[in-house]
Amino acid sequence: MEDMGLIAIGAALAVGITALGTGYAQGRIGAAGAGTIAEKPELVGRIILLVAIPETMVILGFAVSAMIMLLLGG
Amino acid sequence: MQVHMTRVRIIGHKRDLDATLSVIQSLACVQLTEGARAHAGLRPYVLTDEQEEMETLSYLRARLDALLALLPPVPDAPPMHWTEQALGAELQADISRHAPDIEQLARQREALRNDAETLPRYAETLRKLVRLTPELTRLQGYATIALLVHRRYREAIDLLTQEVELLVGSEYELVYDQVDPDHIGAILVVPQRAEAQVQALLGEARVSQVRLPDSLQDVPFSEALVHIQRRLDAIPAETDQVEARLAELAAQCRVRWQGARQALLRRIEQLRARRQLGETDQTFALVGWVPQPEAAHIMQVLEDRLHRALVIQEMPPKAEEAAEAPVLLKNPSAVRPYEFFVRLLSLPEGGSLDPSALMALFMPLFFGLMLGDIGYGLVILLIAAFVFWRSEKGSGVRDVAFFLMMGAGWGIVWGIVFGEFFGSAGHMIGLQPIWKERSDPDALASLLLLAIAIGVVHVTLGLILGVWQAWRSRRRSELWERAGMLLGLCGLFLLVAVVAKQLPPGWATPAVVVVIVGLVLLIRGMGPLGALMAPVELLSGVGNILSYLRLAAIGLASVYLAMVGNELAGRVGVVWVGVIIAVLFHSLNIAMGAFSPSIHALRLHYVEFFSKFYEPGGSPFQPFGRMESDEGDHPAGLAVPEPELAPATPGSAPAV
Repeated sequence: MEDMGLIAIGAALAVGITALGTGYAQGRIGAAGAGTIAEKPELVGRIILLVAIPETMVILGFAVSAMIMLLLGG
Repeated sequence: MQVHMTRVRIIGHKRDLDATLSVIQSLACVQLTEGARAHAGLRPYVLTDEQEEMETLSYLRARLDALLALLPPVPDAPPMHWTEQALGAELQADISRHAPDIEQLARQREALRNDAETLPRYAETLRKLVRLTPELTRLQGYATIALLVHRRYREAIDLLTQEVELLVGSEYELVYDQVDPDHIGAILVVPQRAEAQVQALLGEARVSQVRLPDSLQDVPFSEALVHIQRRLDAIPAETDQVEARLAELAAQCRVRWQGARQALLRRIEQLRARRQLGETDQTFALVGWVPQPEAAHIMQVLEDRLHRALVIQEMPPKAEEAAEAPVLLKNPSAVRPYEFFVRLLSLPEGGSLDPSALMALFMPLFFGLMLGDIGYGLVILLIAAFVFWRSEKGSGVRDVAFFLMMGAGWGIVWGIVFGEFFGSAGHMIGLQPIWKERSDPDALASLLLLAIAIGVVHVTLGLILGVWQAWRSRRRSELWERAGMLLGLCGLFLLVAVVAKQLPPGWATPAVVVVIVGLVLLIRGMGPLGALMAPVELLSGVGNILSYLRLAAIGLASVYLAMVGNELAGRVGVVWVGVIIAVLFHSLNIAMGAFSPSIHALRLHYVEFFSKFYEPGGSPFQPFGRMESDEGDHPAGLAVPEPELAPATPGSAPAV
């Protein structure tokens, strides 16, 4: 029971911390992107691309979290 | 799919230049490019007399734009045709005849609008003050000053009284009272000789004065309100008169001037186009890109229409020139909306692969997998269908609505596979999954494997396309790099299969060999830094595949949010409260379900898929003759219209 609690905390930290990192990165990129689009609306596609790139971090965090739950959670 | 482009070269005598440009302009199928490169001995065309003509016509066009903006619209009528000769003195005379009246009426209309907006504010303030007006205001030789002071600064009135007494002694009258909850109104009457000093005093003390409009400066204060009311009553009738006169002028001039404006635009475009020509002392040379399927027809039309000694030849581009070609996309109606998403990033380079059809295949599939709910799919389908029906043809909104309709369709399909209807509410109607329920913890591993499998297929397809493109365009370094990545990933897949006991252990050695061969090809393609970067690049390919786990992650997030909504709604004792809670949660989930899977499906294409083969940087096909006024009918990048031409007479420009 205690082990399950720690496993759950570990899984939550895996996705939570990466989500924080992703959010921080996307916040910075999004703010700069908003300014860019205000001046050059034709760049909206590339800005979406740049904002979406850091999401790989949280996806990998989710993958680790899922692995923790699957492999350790039983 | 990109329409193949070819070039057409036309060389002729300069006396035929106007007629040639007019015909090409009317066809609207030829994008001009640098004519000086058409032949040795040519130099870039230099505008001489044309420059002055262009400036004059541009000025006339600006005048017409300003005047047309002042005139009211008239019922649709075809614009009048203008000849080039009439665009000079005749048009200028026409404008000079009517412009002063139009501008005068426009100024009157603006003044009436200002008065209608500002006078009621004056009237409101004066109504508060007028009851304070002492008899002195009617006397000659006295000036009336109206003040509004905030109740916070009530003591300012006493201070003002003292200061005014110092200036004029007892020759003044000050009446004040509370006129509304926040303000004290005051009327100060002083001799006119002291008015300037009192105004200065008030200015130093920053006391707000109520100033009458300029038109009422000479009107006694006590009569100002009556004048304002009379003016307000007269404004509607005066406005109607002005509008009627403007409508008369619009009926006389608008149709004529709209025709003149179109003729000016065409002539200005013709003059600008000359900058792209090549010339010698007697001849001109013109080179233009045309859609290859139309090239023979266009050349035949030019020969038939011009009847002159022109040299018209096709100049197919060499392989290394293909990238310079403008891009014209032509796709079936089911694929055309996805051109919007391609353009959002960048048009493909000339001669390269148009990924619209691939997006049409995979984007709705990814969207549907992440959505994966019958109920959500139905709601999004209905809303998207409504937006599609109401939106303008060819608009971005319509394209996005089409994509959402297709995605919602796939969402319903995946919803049947997962057995989801507004999350877990499907159980209430006996819905069972065909495969697995996403909310079941035992299904997590299968879901992740499905997402990775889709990623493997998508990325591998991208690499195969990349190899094919590189081979076709003879770019060796890219060919080695993409082939190396493809082989390296295939080797890794084999290794994973061996580790997962899906293949016998004997496959391990060949798998390692394939990985090494892939790395060698990568190093070859990447140049000097390849030895360091190749393993990193291969790992980034693995990272690209893992990125497809978002297909599972976002779907699970949606499922669990729906479950929470259903659980909360079920636990509340009162039915109607439970319904409201469920509606709120599901509405939020549907809104996120429309937005988030779209962005992620787009991102997977832009980053993970396109990076394997897509060559951006193309410029859109912008034929000479397709002007700003036509943009709504013939958006760049769609099918080229069939030219409709009247027979020409020698020496004249054809009607446009």
